[in-house]
Amino acid sequence: MRIVVAYQWACDPQEALVSSDGKIDFSRAKPTISDYDAVAIEMGCHLAEATGAELIGISAGGEAVATAIATKAALARGLHEVFVVSDPGLDSAGTLATAVTLKAAIDNLGDVGLLLTGDSSLDSGSKTLVAVLAGLLGWPCVTDVMKVTMDGDSLTIERTIPEGIQGLHLHGPVLVGVTSDAVKAKVPGMKDVLSAGKKPARVVSLLDLGVRLPGEGEILSVEKMAGPSRQQIRINTEDPAQAAAELVSALRAAGALDA
Amino acid sequence: MKTYILVANDPGVGGLVEQAATWGQPVVAVVVGSKDLTQVAACPGVDEVIWLGDPGNHGIEAFASSVAAIVADDPGVVLAGRRPSERVFLGTVAASIMAPIITGVQSVSFNNETVVIKHGIYGGIAVATTQFEGPIAMQIDGGAPVVGGGTAVIETRSATPTTITVTSLTPPEVASVDLDTASRVVGVGRGLKRSEDLGLVEALATRLNAEIGCSRPLSEGLDWLPRDRYIGVSGAHIAPDLYIMIGISGQLQHVSGCRASKVIVSINNDKDALVTQDSDYILTGDLYALVPALSAALEKS
Repeated sequence: MRIVVAYQWACDPQEALVSSDGKIDFSRAKPTISDYDAVAIEMGCHLAEATGAELIGISAGGEAVATAIATKAALARGLHEVFVVSDPGLDSAGTLATAVTLKAAIDNLGDVGLLLTGDSSLDSGSKTLVAVLAGLLGWPCVTDVMKVTMDGDSLTIERTIPEGIQGLHLHGPVLVGVTSDAVKAKVPGMKDVLSAGKKPARVVSLLDLGVRLPGEGEILSVEKMAGPSRQQIRINTEDPAQAAAELVSALRAAGALDA
Repeated sequence: MKTYILVANDPGVGGLVEQAATWGQPVVAVVVGSKDLTQVAACPGVDEVIWLGDPGNHGIEAFASSVAAIVADDPGVVLAGRRPSERVFLGTVAASIMAPIITGVQSVSFNNETVVIKHGIYGGIAVATTQFEGPIAMQIDGGAPVVGGGTAVIETRSATPTTITVTSLTPPEVASVDLDTASRVVGVGRGLKRSEDLGLVEALATRLNAEIGCSRPLSEGLDWLPRDRYIGVSGAHIAPDLYIMIGISGQLQHVSGCRASKVIVSINNDKDALVTQDSDYILTGDLYALVPALSAALEKS
């Protein structure tokens, strides 16, 4: 049986500059394995060790995802091998196109009992990829997962919901979205980095997999995000107590302290 | 095209109903939850309610494919909130009708079969205007609970849940964080000098009955707070009635996670900090004096 971890190799929008005309500049940003997915890889390592399953990383993206830097960064985190779909058409892929591509990769691998991924994606933060992929595969999907134990195709899962920690039981194959603090992702050491170079990294194109990307709309324009205009009322803070009292009255009047 | 509202065991879909009602298309609520929930979902603005039954000891997500099958019969515009099970419903539905999935929606306009959506990209640091043809799935803030009182017909359909069985529920030792739906949030950033000083912020949050959030360095790097408290592009996107930013400079990447807040207060020692542009009330000064003063003022009132 195979455990697959879907990971993203992307630039962090935290590092992006947005100019007033809406141009997004990622030139000072370096792509990385998303922190969210690093946690999922770590969990995959623990499960692969406990079950003896193969641990395979999959990723979809533009040319950057197939570079040695990218595949080694993933392998150094403990994956046994990586299977990467790289295509210029994936540079601007949204959630649906990415999910369609990853589904093809999973179908190609076969024998997958569990797919793990970080709950959030680095560059969109939309937290919907795992569900779209589940829909395409026809597998059940659980997010906000803290803990997974496997016994054959039988899975016991703990996940956080607003009411507390929920225990679930289900049978694979299943998709699991891992919370960012489920386990602590180790920083790869020198030995990990060296051994990463010897592990298999398979790179395929969309054509190889026979994938046609779905349309995801036509972008008409991009502008810098502007929030609602704010009142920008400055409260005199010479006397903190008085400033606090003034703020509380203002907030009460605005209804911000109700309920 | 019909508009579908996906209801996942939670009545907090008022924002979706409000949004859908403005489009003048038939609105269908697809509900997984109790009979009571189904009745409140039949609220003004909803034309039809389809009830898939009470989840019992099935995980809510076990109904995702049944929800998707209903929408796939007659694809349209699909709306869901930001809670985990709502996201799973939305994603599964989007997959079943091959609809692009859009988050951070600001505005939507229809022109026959074309939909033009203004939406945040890269976690909200920029906004794109995109034109779509055909079905589309959108994640929108769920908003207030609906309370029924409409005239929608309730139709019961049988569902075939997948095998996700709930085996236990342990109440949280500490109240769980649900920043996305909190009505008040206190956010703290690098202006705080030591992790021990978080007590000041906690005291204020308790007084306000607010959740605590933070800017990214505090949860990733300093590790003073768990990562699910981080507000910003790749973290929580909050929409509370009140957001108080303490010692946060107000970089775009943080602000994009809190823009939807109704009222924003900033407490910062730099009178020219970026955050002032995004604040309704600005308190310039020492947070170590102002935060306790605010806690005290709230206690008095």
